[in-house]
Amino acid sequence: MNKIISIRNLKKSFGENIILRDIHLDFYEGEVVCIIGSSGTGKSTLLRCLNGLESIDEGLITFDGMDITSPKTDLNLVRTKIGMVFQEFNLFYNMNVLKNCVIGQTKVLHRSLEEASQIAMKNLEEVGLSKFVNVDVATLSGGQKQRVAIARSLSMNPKVMLFDEPTSALDPEMVGEVLETMKVLAKKGMTMIIVTHEMSFAREIANRILFMDNGMILEDGSPEQIFEHPTYDRTKEFLKRFR
Amino acid sequence: MVYIRILENFWEAFLLGIGYTLLLSLVGTIVGLVIALILGVVKSIQAIPKRKASRIALKVGQTLIQLYVTVIRGTPMMVQAMIFYYVFRRMGLLWTPLEAGLFTVSVNTGAYLTEVVKNGIESVPKGQEEAAKSLGMNRFKAMSLVILPQAIKTQMASIGNEFIINIKDTSVLNVIMISELYYVAEDAAMRYSSFLEAMLIAAVIYLFLTYTTSKLLKLFENKLGVKTLDIVSSN
Repeated sequence: MNKIISIRNLKKSFGENIILRDIHLDFYEGEVVCIIGSSGTGKSTLLRCLNGLESIDEGLITFDGMDITSPKTDLNLVRTKIGMVFQEFNLFYNMNVLKNCVIGQTKVLHRSLEEASQIAMKNLEEVGLSKFVNVDVATLSGGQKQRVAIARSLSMNPKVMLFDEPTSALDPEMVGEVLETMKVLAKKGMTMIIVTHEMSFAREIANRILFMDNGMILEDGSPEQIFEHPTYDRTKEFLKRFR
Repeated sequence: MVYIRILENFWEAFLLGIGYTLLLSLVGTIVGLVIALILGVVKSIQAIPKRKASRIALKVGQTLIQLYVTVIRGTPMMVQAMIFYYVFRRMGLLWTPLEAGLFTVSVNTGAYLTEVVKNGIESVPKGQEEAAKSLGMNRFKAMSLVILPQAIKTQMASIGNEFIINIKDTSVLNVIMISELYYVAEDAAMRYSSFLEAMLIAAVIYLFLTYTTSKLLKLFENKLGVKTLDIVSSN
């Protein structure tokens, strides 16, 4: 398997607060990785470091061979190859559904409007929203918004998709449709790194689980290994709450 | 009756005065908004640039903008008009009163709207910028395609309000001999020694202009789907 992201000696703190302590980690093409752990253990921060939304204090992160922490690297170019789905959807509220999925393609990748619209339509169809193309995004339900956000990211043809607690802001009845969309994406071979609190989903979709505790990767292994035979008491304790 | 005499002899001048008043307030508001968009964006930058030179440039820029806003908002437009008109003439720029007037209203409106634009930008959730960045947009694209359109929409009421204020406040530009509405009224008043009547005519016209404008703006804002202000305050 090809290495796509690699992290060395990553350290990050907010003021006095140490968020990430010396992270070493590699991600490979085609992997579906779920990062689990209690709130405040650095999961989201780690994810946000991967596309440079958070600056880092020390260490090295490379994506596809490019050092994204170097000021010489065109971070905007790197970001076109890394899709990001946020907890709060963050759809552009000044655009309709189609425009949300088109704008990055035309203004950043310089695709023609026609090509961009076709790609956007294909992705909206895949997330089951082809009927909502011309709808104002504010009128959508949370689940629909998150699926548009996924289609928006996919339309850039990213190599990796990052998901930052994609179902945490949703009403319970809408969680399923988003997870279903993500499962389809995983089956198609998309490389996915997902921060989530949905344990059964993580177990089903992931081929690798990272358990984070106190700014460190405490466990790293297959779902079976982590969920059935965790090494640390801390992990057992955490998982007990979801049984 | 003196009203009829004034209107009979001055109706053309009044129409022209209305034209100048609207020209000054419309151009002033639009140019002022353009100034405010640029300055408001710079003022709203909170990220600390990595390079030292950019850090210094940003700090200097933001201080100068604050100075501009403070000075313009802290002095009457009437005084500003006189100073601009004569200062630039002395420096060899032989501009007409109208040109000086357009400049004054624009600079004045720019100062008031800079704060409005900055507040608008701050009202747009942080996630919008993060989503734009994640698609690979640079700061300029994120700002112009995603953040500013939403910022302006939330501040539409204040921007419209500024236009209405300008309709009224351009009356002070009579001091540099622009024949806007108030200037015409004063002219008529002196011709017929009837200050009260001439000013009442001017007042009715101003009220008509501001009232219609506020109704038109309300229609426009409803179409955009934004909240409106009812009471028009003055600077």
